Amino acid sequence: MSTPEAIYADEAARVSTSAARARARYQLIATLLSAPAVILMFLLLIGPVIAVFLLSFTDWSLGDAEFNWVGMATYDEMVEDDIFWKAITNTLIYVGIVIPGSIILGLGAALLIESVTVGRSLWRAIYFLPVMSTLIAMAVVWEFMLNAKFGMVSQVLGFFGVEAKSWLQEPDTALPALCLIAIWQALGFNMVLFMAGLTSIPRELYNAAEVDGVRSAWDRFWLVTWPLLTPVTMFVAIITAIRSFQVFDTVHVLTKGGPDNASMVLVYQIYQEGFEFFRSSYASALTMVFLAFIFLLTLVKVFAIERKLHYQ
Amino acid sequence: MKFRSIIGAVALTALTAGTASATEIEVQYPYAHLFAETYKQIIAEFNKAHPGITVKMRAPYESYEDGSQKVLKEAITRKTPDITFQGLNRQRILVEKGIAQSLEGFIAKEADFEKDGYHKAMLDLGTFNGKVHGIPFSVSLPIAYYNMDVLKKAGWSKPLPKTWDEVIELCQVIAKSGQDVDTMFWGWNITGNWFWQALNWSRNNSMLDKTETKVNFNNEHGKWAMRTFAKLVKECKMPNYNLKEAMGNFSAGKIGMYFWSISALQRVTNDSAGKFTLKTGPYPSVDSSGGLPAGGNAGMLLAKDPERAAAAWKFLKFATSGRGAAIVAETTGYMPPNKKANEVYLKDFYAQNPNKFTAVAQLPLLREWYAFPGKNGLKITKVIEDAMQSIVTGERVDEPDQVLEEMTEKVQKLLPKTSS
Repeated sequence: MSTPEAIYADEAARVSTSAARARARYQLIATLLSAPAVILMFLLLIGPVIAVFLLSFTDWSLGDAEFNWVGMATYDEMVEDDIFWKAITNTLIYVGIVIPGSIILGLGAALLIESVTVGRSLWRAIYFLPVMSTLIAMAVVWEFMLNAKFGMVSQVLGFFGVEAKSWLQEPDTALPALCLIAIWQALGFNMVLFMAGLTSIPRELYNAAEVDGVRSAWDRFWLVTWPLLTPVTMFVAIITAIRSFQVFDTVHVLTKGGPDNASMVLVYQIYQEGFEFFRSSYASALTMVFLAFIFLLTLVKVFAIERKLHYQ
Repeated sequence: MKFRSIIGAVALTALTAGTASATEIEVQYPYAHLFAETYKQIIAEFNKAHPGITVKMRAPYESYEDGSQKVLKEAITRKTPDITFQGLNRQRILVEKGIAQSLEGFIAKEADFEKDGYHKAMLDLGTFNGKVHGIPFSVSLPIAYYNMDVLKKAGWSKPLPKTWDEVIELCQVIAKSGQDVDTMFWGWNITGNWFWQALNWSRNNSMLDKTETKVNFNNEHGKWAMRTFAKLVKECKMPNYNLKEAMGNFSAGKIGMYFWSISALQRVTNDSAGKFTLKTGPYPSVDSSGGLPAGGNAGMLLAKDPERAAAAWKFLKFATSGRGAAIVAETTGYMPPNKKANEVYLKDFYAQNPNKFTAVAQLPLLREWYAFPGKNGLKITKVIEDAMQSIVTGERVDEPDQVLEEMTEKVQKLLPKTSS
C-alpha cells in the first residue's frame, strides 16, 4: 500500500527520468549530427596545429628520417634572428598602412557611389573588379606598371618631375609599393561592406537630424552616418587586418621579400624557411607566432563585435 | 588464413607480372622548357638500345628548388622516382639525408668507365664523402656576352676584356659614348651564390676550410672578390635588375656586356637575332691556378630495389655518355661534361657554333658548385645573397670589407659545429 507521498515521489521520479532520457537522446543526436564537423575540424585544423606546435620543439627538417627534441632552442634562435624581427615589423607596418588606407578609401568610395544617381551599379562593379580578379595575375600587371623604364607609374610620376626607379627593387619603396597594391585590392571589398552598412541606416534618423538643425553634409556624416557605421567599420577593420597579416601572394610574385629583406613579411618568411631552406622546425615556430597574432585578432573581433558595439 | 592466402596470391601475380613484362623505371627532371626535347630524343634512342626497360617520365620539376623539395617530400612517403636530375648544388642534401644511393658499386662493375669519357673532374662534381652519388648530365659555366654593336659605337678597338679592370675601362668608354644603354650586368643573383663562388674560385679560393666548419672566404682572396664586385657595381653603374629584366634588356640590345651562364646562350641568341652581333668571351680574371663553378644538373639514383636500380643505372649511363650526352649539346645551351662526347661526337658541331665553344674551352677550369653543409645549408645561400644585394642596391657599395665581415659572421653562426 502506498501513501500519497510515495505515489507523488514515484511519479516525480518517472517524469524526471523520462525528461532526463529525452534530454540524453537530444544530446546524443546533437553530438552525432555535429560529429562529422568536429572530426573534420580535428583532422584538418586542430590536429595539424598540434603537430606543428610539437614540431617547433624538434630539430626536424624536411626529408629527415628522425628528429630530436630540442626544447626551446628554436624559439631562442627566433628571438635572435634579425630577419624575424624585420618580418614582424614589416608585417605590422603593412597592416598599419593597409587598414586605414583601405577603410578610408573604401568608405569614401561607398559614400560617393551612394550619392550619385546614375550609373551606381557600374561604379560599384568597377571598384569591385580588383576583388574578383586573381591577385597573382594582378601582381604581374602591377609589376609592369611599376617597371622603371616603361611602367605607367614611373611615366606618370616622371611627368611631375619625380625620378623613375625600380620601385620594387629599392629598399625604401618595396614595402610601400606592396601596401599600395593591397589597398587597391581591399578597397572594393570594403566598399561593398560599407554600402551594405549605409543602406541599413534608417532614413528617419537623417530627417530627425535635419529637424534638429543639422545642415551640413559633414555634420550629417559625423553625427549620424559614422556612429551608425561603427559595427561595420569594426568588422571591416578586423577582416582587413586578418587578410593583411596573411599577405603572401604579392610578396612572392613581386619582391620575394627583398631587397635585402626590406619587404619580408611573416607568412613569406614561414614559406621561405619551410619550403626553400627546409628548416621545418623553425618554420613551425614562426607559424606559432603567426597563429598567436591571428588568434588575438579573432578574440578582438569576438569581444568587440559581440559586445554589440553600436547604437541600435 | 583465407585473407593471408589472398594477399599471397595477389603478391605472387604481381611478382610474376613484374618479371614477365619489361622493367619500368621512373625518371624526373627539372626545367621542361629547356630539356623536354633533349629527353624526348634520349628516350627514343635509349628504347632502341634497351628494349627491356620502359622509361616513364614524371611531370618535370619547375626548378632546382622545386626538384629538391619534391624529392624530400616523396622520401617521407617512399614515393621517390628511380632517377632524379638535381641541380649540382642540390645533390648534397639528398646525400646527407641518405636518400640518394652511392654509385660506386655500379661503377666498379663497368669495364671501360674512363674510356666512355667519365673523367675525374666530371665525377668530382657528384662526389660526396669520397663516393660518387651523382653523374653530371648537363653543365654550364660563367662566360661573358658582348653586344658588339655597342662596343663598336663606343669606339672600343682593343681586344675583348681579359680582366675586370679592363671590363671597367670598357664600361667607362661605353658610358662616355652617350649611348642609351646600361654598360654591363653581372649575374650576382644567379641561384646558389654561383657568381660569388665564381669570383672566389677564379682565385682558387674555397667557401669553407677543409673541415667544413669554418668560413674561408674572409681571407685576402675573398676580400678581393667582394671589392671587385663592389667596384663593378659602382664604376659601371650596374643596374639592379632581376633575372628576367637583365636577360630581356641584354637581348633587346640595351646592355653592353652581360656576365652570365652559358646556359642562356640559346635563348639570348634567338632573342637577339637581327638586333645586334652577339659574341661570347671567356670569363675575365681567372688565375692560372683558379677555376670556375660548374652549373647545371646531375642524375642521381634513388631506387632501392636492385632490379630497378640496375635498370636505372643503365639509363643514367646512357644519358651521360656517348649519343645521350651529345644530344644535350645539340638541343640546349648546356654542355655535356663527358669528355668523349665533346671530343668525338661533337667536334664538327662546335666548329659550326663558336659561341658555344667558349665554355667548352673553359672545361678544364671546372670546379664544384659548392653546397653548404648541414641543416642551414640553403639558408646560408640566402645570407650571402642578401649581403651582395646590399651592395647592388648601392646602400653599402662603399664598404665591401664590412659587408664581407658581417656576412662571414652570420654564415659562421649557421655552420655545423662539428664536421660531418
